[in-house]
Amino acid sequence: MPSQDNPNDRMALLQGTLDLLILRTLVLGSCHGQGIARSIQRQSEEVLFVDHGSLYLALQRLEDKKWISAKWGVSENNRKARFYSLTAKGRRQLLEKTSEWQRLTRAMGLILDGRPTSEGA
Amino acid sequence: MFRRKRSTDDFAEEIKSHFDLEADELQSEGLNEEEARRRARVEFGNAQAAKERFYLSGRIVWFDNLLHDIKFAIRQLIRNPSFASIAIVTLALSIASNSTIFSWINSTLLNPIPGIAHTSDMITIMRGERSEHPTPPFSYLDFADLRDRTQSFTGMLAYHDDYMAITGSDKPERVYGAVVSSNYFEVLGVRPILGRSLESTAPNERLGVAEVVLSYGLWQKRFGADPSIVGKAMQINLHPYTIVGVAPEGFQGCKTGLRSDLWIPVGMDPQISGSGRIRNRDTIWLNVLGKLKPGIDHRQAENELNILMQHIAAQFPDAHQGPNTISSDPLWRSPFGVNVYLYGTLPMLFALAVVLLLLACANVANLLLVRSVARRRELAIRLSMGATRWRLVLQLMVENGMIALAGGGLALLLTTWTAHGLSAFLPATTLPLTLNGSVDRTVFVATLMISLLTAAVSGILPALRASSLSPMSALKDEALSTSGGIHKSRLAGGLVVGQIALSMLLLVCAGLFVRSLQSEQNSDPGFDPNHVFLAYFDLTPMGYSRAQAIAFDRQMVVRLKSLPGVQSVTLGDFAPLSFSIRTDFIQAEGYVPGKNESMEVDRGMAGPEYLRTARTALLAGRDFTDSDDAGARPVSIVNKALADRYWPGQDAIGKRLQVAGRWTTVVGVAANGKYRRLVYDPAPLVLIPLWQRFTTDQILYVRVAGDPLSYASSVERTLHGLNADLPLYNETTLAANMRLGNAFERIEAAFAGSFGLLALILAAVGVYGVVAYATKQRTHEIGIRMAIGAGHQDIFRQVLGGGLRLAGFGVALGLIISFALTRYLRGMLYGVGTADWLTFVVVAILLCVVTLIACFVPARRAASVDPMQALRAE
Repeated sequence: MPSQDNPNDRMALLQGTLDLLILRTLVLGSCHGQGIARSIQRQSEEVLFVDHGSLYLALQRLEDKKWISAKWGVSENNRKARFYSLTAKGRRQLLEKTSEWQRLTRAMGLILDGRPTSEGA
Repeated sequence: MFRRKRSTDDFAEEIKSHFDLEADELQSEGLNEEEARRRARVEFGNAQAAKERFYLSGRIVWFDNLLHDIKFAIRQLIRNPSFASIAIVTLALSIASNSTIFSWINSTLLNPIPGIAHTSDMITIMRGERSEHPTPPFSYLDFADLRDRTQSFTGMLAYHDDYMAITGSDKPERVYGAVVSSNYFEVLGVRPILGRSLESTAPNERLGVAEVVLSYGLWQKRFGADPSIVGKAMQINLHPYTIVGVAPEGFQGCKTGLRSDLWIPVGMDPQISGSGRIRNRDTIWLNVLGKLKPGIDHRQAENELNILMQHIAAQFPDAHQGPNTISSDPLWRSPFGVNVYLYGTLPMLFALAVVLLLLACANVANLLLVRSVARRRELAIRLSMGATRWRLVLQLMVENGMIALAGGGLALLLTTWTAHGLSAFLPATTLPLTLNGSVDRTVFVATLMISLLTAAVSGILPALRASSLSPMSALKDEALSTSGGIHKSRLAGGLVVGQIALSMLLLVCAGLFVRSLQSEQNSDPGFDPNHVFLAYFDLTPMGYSRAQAIAFDRQMVVRLKSLPGVQSVTLGDFAPLSFSIRTDFIQAEGYVPGKNESMEVDRGMAGPEYLRTARTALLAGRDFTDSDDAGARPVSIVNKALADRYWPGQDAIGKRLQVAGRWTTVVGVAANGKYRRLVYDPAPLVLIPLWQRFTTDQILYVRVAGDPLSYASSVERTLHGLNADLPLYNETTLAANMRLGNAFERIEAAFAGSFGLLALILAAVGVYGVVAYATKQRTHEIGIRMAIGAGHQDIFRQVLGGGLRLAGFGVALGLIISFALTRYLRGMLYGVGTADWLTFVVVAILLCVVTLIACFVPARRAASVDPMQALRAE
């Protein structure tokens, strides 16, 4: 089991959301696994915790599906790293998954709050 | 196989790079290097687990596991060779029983015409009701009309097969050939490998062209596989023919189990047979095979043919006085060829072999159960290390699969040898029988499937049972506590009861078949087969006229009779019980046949003193004599069955009887005899003098004092003294020759018998194994019993009693199963009922005795237990 520092502050990711987050992160440009993890944590204001084991499996899965592509390269600080970037197929998936997610959160909001949550949560 | 492109090493490298990047970042946030690395690792969690998950997510895992299981299984089996070899041999024998019989089914029922892949849309057509020994059903003219008018077939072919002689060279050779309709090869879809098939110009079919297609075998053997054979000439029955083609290897005509060596156009029949039957509508002699149009089943085709036949019969009433109904059969049970004798026998034997295999499965399951107890610790450790139960079951199944595959492989080796065993049951014969199985792809695949099925059936219960243990208790009580044991021995006991029941069934079947064969062989065939020498010969190649041939025969008989030790000599065109008797249509004086009543009876041609030589009792009148020849008044001898049927209560002597269109006077009445198969009831038979009807294809009977075969050389010398070129085909004794008449019963008895014997051995081994194991498990308990006063005798009796109880349950169950199932054997038994009490009782006693013997050793061992030792062993 991966250790968690502050289980109360951090939230484990919902099943299936990690793929979407990875795709979203890669819209900004190619990035390596560690960078993706950092970026998700930072952008979610340290709320979302990325299990690194799952992250790399997810990256592998997305690569197998040809939504992202990978190649070894060198990072800014001269470390060897595997860089992932979005493919055209991945881009289409991102749009589709994003609207799917928005419909889901709207529906959840309607039930939990009696009104739709703010657009684009 | 399903290996992904990316290696695990590459993945490990990526994770390492992650640590570096994370550490760099943490360091830039102000941590020292060591702390940064530590944090990076902690943050990541279990890197090893991630790698493992990467590895597991690949689909290759199951394959790796399988390889591992196989390696492990082989190690386990090598470590325990006695277990492995007993299991493998048990399975090999019983799988081989199945694959052998399957190889025969494959080469007869499943592939009725060797060399042709699809025969499911072909049917054989027969005149009259279905019978086991039909004569060829159609006249040429009727066949030609039916072929022209029918709408149900894409093609309909006709053929007539018989002995022919290749003449015109120094060494005449007798072959089995067929005259065939011009579309023969076309309908069958057989393309010659050299030259062409017969000219398929139907308008000239009746006139015929003197051309011949050779079989592959004849081309190889007689013509040395000459590649330029096409266009060359050869002589058949003294007439010249042009060789136009060579049939492909494997194709040997369309009668299952009978080989044709050459094919010539049906129009040449007058030349070949010397008969004008091709112009007669009332001589029926052609076999007909039809290939159904797609979407038409054989019932529809049969209906159409019946309607057409009624029209033809109405048009030519004189030529259609016998039965004119038509019946048809798929080729797997065609009444022409050997399938008619095999389509009941082989599936029945296969069913027995499957029962034997079930028995073997039960034995192996028992062995596995015993072994799984010895392996409890190993399995428990694996379970507690995190292996799932499913993994354990899989591993045990793989082990068992290896055993079954090894058994299957061995069985396949055995089968390559036993597949040819079918012909061993046939005595030397002039019939062109090719009754053989072989290991082809179908048999190979079937054997593989049987092996895997065997593995599954025998392995699943023990594997589930073995893997159901709780690791804690298994590790704790090393000493095989009785709790697990009782459970297991109940399952093992159940298996043993099942085994005894199944072997009871097999033994009862074996007993019934052996008793049937016995009563068959003890039945009176109506002649005395001992001390008769037989020789087959053919006068065709000599080129004699009929008068010359008869003169030759006469001289031969006179000379042979003068040999010392020879008691009487005769000739015939048939020998009893060797599938050589033919049939003819008769009309009996004063008997009015019912509408569509078949007047077809067995007909033999016989020389002078036939009844005396065969020792068939003469009930009235006289035997044939030397003077019953072409110049004399046509006579006949009938058997009692014929006389009783057509002239009940009258004196048959002097009655007039028409045989194949010729009136004869009955001069003798003979006792009934068996001429086709021993299992048939005596059928009406008429004998006519050989010299009044004549055929060049003859069988010489010499009744002698002493061993008939010791006369072979003197008979041969005498014959060759008359004509040095006379070809003698088969020299044998009447007793050996008639073994052909019960070949199929001997096959049944031999196989049912050996299956029964194997079953008995398997059951004995099974009982021994379980009782020995259960007794060993109870050593402690026995020790206590003895300590508190039980005697050796009590223990001995108790163990034997336990074994007998199993036997009792098994025999009771077996009796029920046997009573329920043996009634399906009714049609196959002769002179013994399916519920023959003697067989049942003997088998039941035999099984109990064998069980007792199997229990004896473990019982002795138990009784000799030293209580102190037994208790200390805990």
